[in-house]
Amino acid sequence: MTAKQTPSATSARRSSAGGGNRTGKNATAAQRRAAQKQAAAQRALAAERGQRRQWLLVGGAVLAVIAVVGVLVGIKLAATPANHSSAAQAGSASQQVTSAVSGVPPKVLDSVGAGSIVTPPTALTGAPLSAQGKPRVLYVGAEYCPYCAAERWALAAALSRFGTLSGLGEVSSSPTDVYPNTATLSFHGAGYTSTYLTLTAKEIEGTQRVGNSYAPLDKLDPADATLFENIGKGSFPFVDIGGKYAISGASYDPSVLQGKTQEQIAAALSDPNSPIGKAIDGTANVITAAVCRVTGNQPGNVCTSAGVTAAAKALPASG
Amino acid sequence: MAERAPAPVRAIPAGRPGGRTGLGSLIVSLIGLGISIYLTVEHFTAATTLACPETGTINCQKVTTSAWSHIGPVPVAVLGLVFFAGMSALCSPPAWRIRALAPTRVVGAVVGVLSALYLVWVELFRVDAICLWCTAVHVCALALLATVLWSTGAVRAGR
Repeated sequence: MTAKQTPSATSARRSSAGGGNRTGKNATAAQRRAAQKQAAAQRALAAERGQRRQWLLVGGAVLAVIAVVGVLVGIKLAATPANHSSAAQAGSASQQVTSAVSGVPPKVLDSVGAGSIVTPPTALTGAPLSAQGKPRVLYVGAEYCPYCAAERWALAAALSRFGTLSGLGEVSSSPTDVYPNTATLSFHGAGYTSTYLTLTAKEIEGTQRVGNSYAPLDKLDPADATLFENIGKGSFPFVDIGGKYAISGASYDPSVLQGKTQEQIAAALSDPNSPIGKAIDGTANVITAAVCRVTGNQPGNVCTSAGVTAAAKALPASG
Repeated sequence: MAERAPAPVRAIPAGRPGGRTGLGSLIVSLIGLGISIYLTVEHFTAATTLACPETGTINCQKVTTSAWSHIGPVPVAVLGLVFFAGMSALCSPPAWRIRALAPTRVVGAVVGVLSALYLVWVELFRVDAICLWCTAVHVCALALLATVLWSTGAVRAGR
């Protein structure tokens, strides 16, 4: 019984005999596992750090840009309320706008004729208005005035057919008057050279509110002030064309300009089918026809053009 | 007893040149390119059909036809088109495989955002109007910077 051993006892002894070697192998495996775990943990940590860095970099950049935009918007909003009661200050007219006004294509003007002019110039019977041996055009207006805003476009386009305007400004009419914020030009500080006529253009008041009125801008000569009071009845705008024709108020409906920018209005001048083109180009043709009457139909190519000839029919006979 | 597998390591996204790395940047670039093409076409045509409300503050035409719509003789819309066309090429999958392009791509994205900030300043303080289409382009420029920075970081981490 004692000599005969059971299979389980043999197995246990075998196990006991090889025990030291097995323990060493187990220890190595455990170390390897620990090292793997440590390496994995380090990799995970590095990955997390890398990802955090990425988030910080990308998030930081985006937040910085948003912050700059926020500051810009904040400055803009803080500055805006002060300007609400007054129209925008005059600035120089852009090259794009002045080019469009002074260079309305003759074909467009010819096809528009008198366009949608509502109130053509009236005939005058007084003494001719002249300077330097040439007929003189007198314009009296104010930058805040919405009717002046409308009339300036046509006047500038017409005068550009006889000479060269320079130093035109850009301004908007009063935000609190009728046809608020009408985008327009300003004759304040503008110059004009022509071999056919001279121009006196005055903006009597600006756009800045001073009490119940507006800040004064240009000064009228006493003689021109008399014409403004006697013929123009002291209301803006007033245009005296060589003492032969006068314009009081806007010649067309200023509402066609509502909501438009200077650039949009200037661009529309080349479109004979647009309401703006019909109004401004048509009025410019009629003013041109009136000017032609005082320049002796000079220059010929302008005064005998189809558009001016057609527009002249809207003029009353001068005295 | 079976050995316990080591805890799964959270993989860094992307980082595989030629994989999906930079896909976001390519998509954003292409969106920016599309809008720039639209604005360029509008610039060279009548410029009267921009799908954009005119509420005073928001006025696309006022912005796109202003004196500030050109830098020198070149329309800003064209500059935007060239920028996004270039960035689309730089953000294409083959370009992402070329690691030497990484600095160019990042610099390009930064220049795009700086240009957008300048144009936002112009809109707010010079033109006095906001163009929605332009704003969409500016958002694309910012999103492009974010995706380019993210993908560049992912590629570097995957090295």
